[in-house]
Amino acid sequence: MLAVELAGDTIRALNGSMVAYDGRMTFKRQGISGGEGLRGALKRRIAGEGMTLMEITGQGTVYLASEATEVTLVPLNGEAFFVESESLLALDGRLRTGVQFVGLRGMGTGQGLATTKVEGHGTVAILSDGPAIALEVTPQTPLSVDPHAYVAHSGQLRQDVVTDVNWRTVLGQGSGESVQFRYQGHGVVYVQPAERGGILEV
Amino acid sequence: MTPPTSPTVYSAATLPANDNVTAYAFCVDLDGQWFAQKGKMIAYYGDIRFQALSSGPLDALVAANFHSPLYSQDWIVAQGRGKLLLADRGFDVNSYDLDDGNLTIRAGNLLAFEPGLELKQSIIPGFLTLIGTGRFVAASNGPVHFVEPPIRVDPQALLGWADCPSPAHHYDHSYMRGVIGAARSMFGIGGTSGEEHQFDFTGQGTVLMQSSEVVADEDALLRDLEGQIGVLGVSGLQRLHHTIGRRLAAERQD
Repeated sequence: MLAVELAGDTIRALNGSMVAYDGRMTFKRQGISGGEGLRGALKRRIAGEGMTLMEITGQGTVYLASEATEVTLVPLNGEAFFVESESLLALDGRLRTGVQFVGLRGMGTGQGLATTKVEGHGTVAILSDGPAIALEVTPQTPLSVDPHAYVAHSGQLRQDVVTDVNWRTVLGQGSGESVQFRYQGHGVVYVQPAERGGILEV
Repeated sequence: MTPPTSPTVYSAATLPANDNVTAYAFCVDLDGQWFAQKGKMIAYYGDIRFQALSSGPLDALVAANFHSPLYSQDWIVAQGRGKLLLADRGFDVNSYDLDDGNLTIRAGNLLAFEPGLELKQSIIPGFLTLIGTGRFVAASNGPVHFVEPPIRVDPQALLGWADCPSPAHHYDHSYMRGVIGAARSMFGIGGTSGEEHQFDFTGQGTVLMQSSEVVADEDALLRDLEGQIGVLGVSGLQRLHHTIGRRLAAERQD
């Protein structure tokens, strides 16, 4: 659960994620444009990267939660941050969001060809199944990630889909695991200690 | 915004070596070979290759350390140098050291082990036995509790056991008792509590329990059972079909 103290400022949060608040709050569902303008909305529609956020403004504390998953806070200082829309809980009102086409990357997780991009200065709250682990990527130390464990990443990273034949034969438990993501460059990748939509019903 | 937490950012150098990163993830400092279960690796740094047990160059290693045909398709060998992160469904993850010992563990909960250990199938279906000296990593839903025999453990809460003899099945007397038992097995009624069957441990050793009854799908166990269906004739299959139907009806009532 995330507690956000507001003093007249605005945040944006996942629709329906408010579980409690005190003080005076106004909730405004963002219309079709989602604060990204008509062009952004159109792009989102095409990309299938559905995201419904609401604006919360007021004085006091608002409590946000979603399906009892873990919340991780990521401070942004101007760098770009990429996250699946379904993993986004809330963000500072000053941050800008948009849709980024990522090509084949999303195929592995069945989440389409696009991801949500957040930019600016402020804090983003993301959701993960189990506490997220942040892993730094430098040019000397590229990182490989299981697509099902990937949550988000930030910085200047090149993202490749590696369809290692070996990996495919070796890791195929379902169709999704035949690929891995390989990150190169400068940045941070967030992974969760569980596989999203895994084969196991827990 | 006020915290939950901003996570520590780990790099290839600062990740712990052969230790837990969080309660739910373990980092193997790989220099050589480890056996790992498929789908339990979430990320890795370095030069690591994953090979199926069937691949030729591994013959000697597999011959020496892996003696479970039933589970061979669930396992791979990670080979090379680097840091390998293991996790499983957000379960608690722990490492254990065996010193010339033996430990039996639920197959779905074993994530990885060093080649110093030999893997064999336990007499109890769905469990694997590790013998030798080395380290292994296992997952549990909730913390692990270590208890000493004599003890009776719910089959779903049982994670494994070390040094003691294999357990026996124990059924409560009320479950055995004539009329009610028969009626229950026929109609699936009579208020089964789901707790009338336990594993009974005796002797010297340690029993490992997890603090919930959530277990992984016993895929290998199912494969094993399916493999045995072949020997049943039509009448046997019909009877099995009938039994499963009754059992399903009973489960739905619970």
